Amino acid sequence: MYRYDEFDTAVVRERIEEFRDQVSRRVSGGLTEDEFKPLRLMNGVYLQLHAYMLRVAVPYGTMNSGQMRRLARIARVYDKGYGHFTTRTNIQYNWPALSDVPAILSELAEVEMHAIQTSGNCIRNVTTDVFAGCADDEIEDPRPWCEILRQWSTIHPEFSFLPRKFKIAVIAAPKDRAAMRTHDVGLQLIRGEDGETAFRVFVGGGQGRIPHIAQEIAPAVPGRDLLAYLTAILRAWNLLGRRDNIHKARIKILVASLGIDAFREEVERHFATLRREDLRVPDEEVARIRAYFAPPPFADLPRTSGAFDRASLADPDFARFARNNVRRHRQPGYATLIISLKPQGGVPGDITADQMDLVADLAERFSFDEVRAAYEQNLVLPHVRLDDTPEIWRRLAEAGLATPNADLVTDIIACPGLDYCSLANARSIPVAQALSEQLADLDYQERLGPIRVNMSGCINACGHHHVGHIGVLGVDRKGEEYYQITVGGSADEQAALGEIVGRSLAADEVAPAVGRALDRYLEVRREGETFLQTVRRLGADPFRDAIYGAFNAVA
Amino acid sequence: MQWLDTAPEGARLPVTTPLEEVEAAARDAGVLVLEFDAFRDGRGFSLAAVLRERGYRGRLIAEGRLIPDQARHLRRSGFDGVVLGPGADIEAWRRMDAAFSATYQPVEEDAAPIWRRRTLARATPEAVVKRLNRETRGGNAEDILCAALDPSLGLRPAILSSFGAEAGVLLSLAARVDPSIPVIFLDTGMHFLQTLAYRKALSERLGLTDVRLVTPDPSERADLDPDEDLWRADPDACCDLRKVRPLERALAGIDAVITGRKRHQTLDRHDLRPFELFQGRIRVNPLHDWSEEQVEAWFDAEDLPRHPLIDQGYRSIGCWPCTTVVKAGEDGRLGRWSGAAKTECGIHLGRRTMSVG
Repeated sequence: MYRYDEFDTAVVRERIEEFRDQVSRRVSGGLTEDEFKPLRLMNGVYLQLHAYMLRVAVPYGTMNSGQMRRLARIARVYDKGYGHFTTRTNIQYNWPALSDVPAILSELAEVEMHAIQTSGNCIRNVTTDVFAGCADDEIEDPRPWCEILRQWSTIHPEFSFLPRKFKIAVIAAPKDRAAMRTHDVGLQLIRGEDGETAFRVFVGGGQGRIPHIAQEIAPAVPGRDLLAYLTAILRAWNLLGRRDNIHKARIKILVASLGIDAFREEVERHFATLRREDLRVPDEEVARIRAYFAPPPFADLPRTSGAFDRASLADPDFARFARNNVRRHRQPGYATLIISLKPQGGVPGDITADQMDLVADLAERFSFDEVRAAYEQNLVLPHVRLDDTPEIWRRLAEAGLATPNADLVTDIIACPGLDYCSLANARSIPVAQALSEQLADLDYQERLGPIRVNMSGCINACGHHHVGHIGVLGVDRKGEEYYQITVGGSADEQAALGEIVGRSLAADEVAPAVGRALDRYLEVRREGETFLQTVRRLGADPFRDAIYGAFNAVA
Repeated sequence: MQWLDTAPEGARLPVTTPLEEVEAAARDAGVLVLEFDAFRDGRGFSLAAVLRERGYRGRLIAEGRLIPDQARHLRRSGFDGVVLGPGADIEAWRRMDAAFSATYQPVEEDAAPIWRRRTLARATPEAVVKRLNRETRGGNAEDILCAALDPSLGLRPAILSSFGAEAGVLLSLAARVDPSIPVIFLDTGMHFLQTLAYRKALSERLGLTDVRLVTPDPSERADLDPDEDLWRADPDACCDLRKVRPLERALAGIDAVITGRKRHQTLDRHDLRPFELFQGRIRVNPLHDWSEEQVEAWFDAEDLPRHPLIDQGYRSIGCWPCTTVVKAGEDGRLGRWSGAAKTECGIHLGRRTMSVG
């Protein structure tokens, strides 16, 4: 993975000093709260309902064991002993003291981490495929390009006061495992006609109050022109995007109102006059960054593993874990292992300091010192030997981290909701917990197959409810927390927005209603058909009937 | 970056103005003031960047509700100055402007972005010089200049000019390529008044926007040359005080010095190459193989103003005490330190150790 050189180190250090200066001017009155707010947000510091929250960037989700241990230490020393992984593959601390923030940032800098641009109206942490470097359908590892984007977007002079936030995702396979088309800009790495790296560029995706799926703006931008093309897109939006209404400021609104063709013309006008040479990263630099992401020194192993097969036969619990959480790796004898942060009745994405330390140990010993954060709020050990999976599983199980539910219905994405967030209308965590408890039967979950339930506590959609196969949105109805259900959303390469099935439900009605929709799926599905395929074939009606039938029968 | 009390006279537009209207207003404006009505409204940064990229060379001034933390955003997007309201904390503006020693983005400014600096850091200056000499073989002065200014090299160049008899050639070439390139003039305090007038006239004619007047350190001068007659006793010491030391200070942050030296000028310059390494810095000599006739022809073709002293028989012009007229047909450099063995002031030779009693 990438390592800082003296320039990266200097930027992060100087950023901390800059923030210290800003905090002291805030204290002395040199900056008003209104002036200070965007500055602290661009350093990851939020003011939440009960306390400050610090959001630490995990660039494109990749960490080493030293970094993970440092995250654990921060949770222990400065917080209440846990952290929360987010759908932007960042980690949030919910209880730091504001006065500790500079010290935390210094601790992060020591392990080449920071909280820069994890919030604010700027370019946010770039996300990618959590299986980068492991998946066999990958054209090339997308992470060198993510690192180039990270550097280019860090403290950008022109794009630090944008109309609104701006999120970029990069994938490098036909299969989308990064919800790429829900982003302001989605990049799909392809092989250009000249055999060089190119990008299919999508623009104008986003969730929030008015969700949009990103549309293709360019079929193949050469890698060497990527930064220039992105500059043109951001410039067009920075100049034309709305600033009068926070809900209409994202690029998706501009693209929708102009139409993709007119927006493309606007971008191309800027692209034509850009000094592209200046934005071209030298080949030596691309090669330098790529070298950091070279495959680890894999051993030559047989395709199958005796230890793995014996454990699968001997222990049904391991067999279930292996079925659901152990994924094929392109290197024979290796696997990618998903550590679910969705234990039964738990808070999605939460992890304790002790658990972080254990994951760090496992990454160091079994996975070439690498661990990933997935946008689904799980962790991943990217490169483990099949031979080692039984032992990893045992140690995870001892720490309560072996929940065998990856991509199953209780692998719920959820925002922190009204328990923490000052924007939320409703709580997400208790509803997710209730659903997790109700659907706890793992045999039943496996029978249902892959189903993504996404839950947001407000219309800002941090829990990605629009693109959940089943989405749950918390709304405020005359001071009461209510929940709206959608079905048929999807964040993959056939991205789609879910359809609202009917009136919103009270908190305690949500889990039973989702249960009825799932039962209906089992009744109506064809052989081998996933939930999403069934919804696409039949539409939302059968599920609407299942959800509201009970009420209608009573009425 | 200039910290201004009031906005200069010129065109004024709010940053909410559509780009096309801003461009139209900039077309014949020498000064353009962009007004920010809210510091969160970042349109002004893109407007500045677009104007600069599309060739606007006039002054660009920001005014309005801005905060010190935006100083470098303004500068790096292409603004020359910002109007600070009454009571503004100018120290905070300065600190925030200088908060970062390195940046990732190649934008309107002199410092190279980090990835160019990385490439440069790995290539030794010797290797760069060797490569540039190889790549520009057979090339003309403009090719050499363009190679030195290639942004992919990430060099921070400056021109060293005496605004003497032949200076117009290099400066007019440079103005073609990039009129904002820093031009260093060693203002020794001993120049002919005609040289100072010529400096002003030529700079304006060529549209050079960054001519830097570099003067001797006043306390050093009071120490070493209280009566301003050091040139009599020890011309080397005088050159050191007035040229070598000030230049050393002026070159902080500059890693390539472009000079107008030519092979024919002195014996020492006979094997001058287009690129050379001098005291860790790259020296660029685009005119290394030019003859006097070529210089003459260039002045005629470009219709450049001549240094006023040429008519009086001066051919190589430095400070007044050490410059004399030469006879027709004589080598022009003979007019410098005439009668002494000295042929160079030292800025092209390196500092000698001084002991002045």
